[in-house]
Amino acid sequence: MTLVQETSNESALSDVPDVMCNVPTVDAEEQLVHSLGIGEDSGFETLVRSYGPQVMAIARRYLRSEADAADCFQDTFIAIFEGINSFQRKSSFRSWVSGITINQCLMALRKRQRRREESIEHMLPMFNERGSRIDVASPRQKSEFGEALDAEQLRRIVREHIERLPDKYRLVLLLRDIDGYSTRETASILGIEVNAVKTRLHRARSALKYMLEPVLEQKFCHVDV
Amino acid sequence: MLTCKQFDEFMIDYLEGGLPVWQKYMCWLHIKMCRECAYFVQEYRKVVALGKNAFDSPDGAVPDSVPEELVKAAMAFRKTR
Repeated sequence: MTLVQETSNESALSDVPDVMCNVPTVDAEEQLVHSLGIGEDSGFETLVRSYGPQVMAIARRYLRSEADAADCFQDTFIAIFEGINSFQRKSSFRSWVSGITINQCLMALRKRQRRREESIEHMLPMFNERGSRIDVASPRQKSEFGEALDAEQLRRIVREHIERLPDKYRLVLLLRDIDGYSTRETASILGIEVNAVKTRLHRARSALKYMLEPVLEQKFCHVDV
Repeated sequence: MLTCKQFDEFMIDYLEGGLPVWQKYMCWLHIKMCRECAYFVQEYRKVVALGKNAFDSPDGAVPDSVPEELVKAAMAFRKTR
């Protein structure tokens, strides 16, 4: 799927939660879109300064590399500038920018040499021949994570474990659970079937649960569900 | 009654409210009867919540700004197009 096709498909990118904040007001946004539409340099600078932090946060999250995120940063703003006329106002501008950033990240990941990925098969739920759940205890110990974790340490550990997931699972988890896209939107963005999204999401969450078991068992690990 | 394996296959839809009433009831019943699956669901929900919160932090959230050289590089790059 090409960038233009994906980004002009606003139905797949609409109604996403506001992953971007501290961006121009609606009026200022309209002016910005107009300025970009007529190719003004000042519009481009405003775009980069206003949306740069959000674009960078998304790129870091998806690409896991500062250098790749910086490359993606440039490519994203060029893509926004060149594709501004395909912005049809069916979604907010910031959602549209967010969608383009994610598309750029996905393209970068496809181009990038595949990194060695850890299999998650042994982390998934297992069942006996009668279909009953077999308890698979994680071999990891609580002590790996120290005696007490504060909220920030806990978030860091969770991020590190999300990064360990193979891309096919990690991307679905990021799109669905972090960036808040629906299952259908995620399927559209990744070009896969809805059922494949559900399967990958369930596997990603199950593997993450396996990896985080020692953390979950800690009595001081309080999670509001 | 569903087996644990069958329940596992329905789990995503069950947790997200995407099942017809009858299947939803079968899943609910399974959790009531199966301690292992009930525990699995409890921990699974915690993991989903942890994942959602993982990027709400100074390291994972939106930065206040991006390095000036990155802004300048993007602007210079655009002039070459």
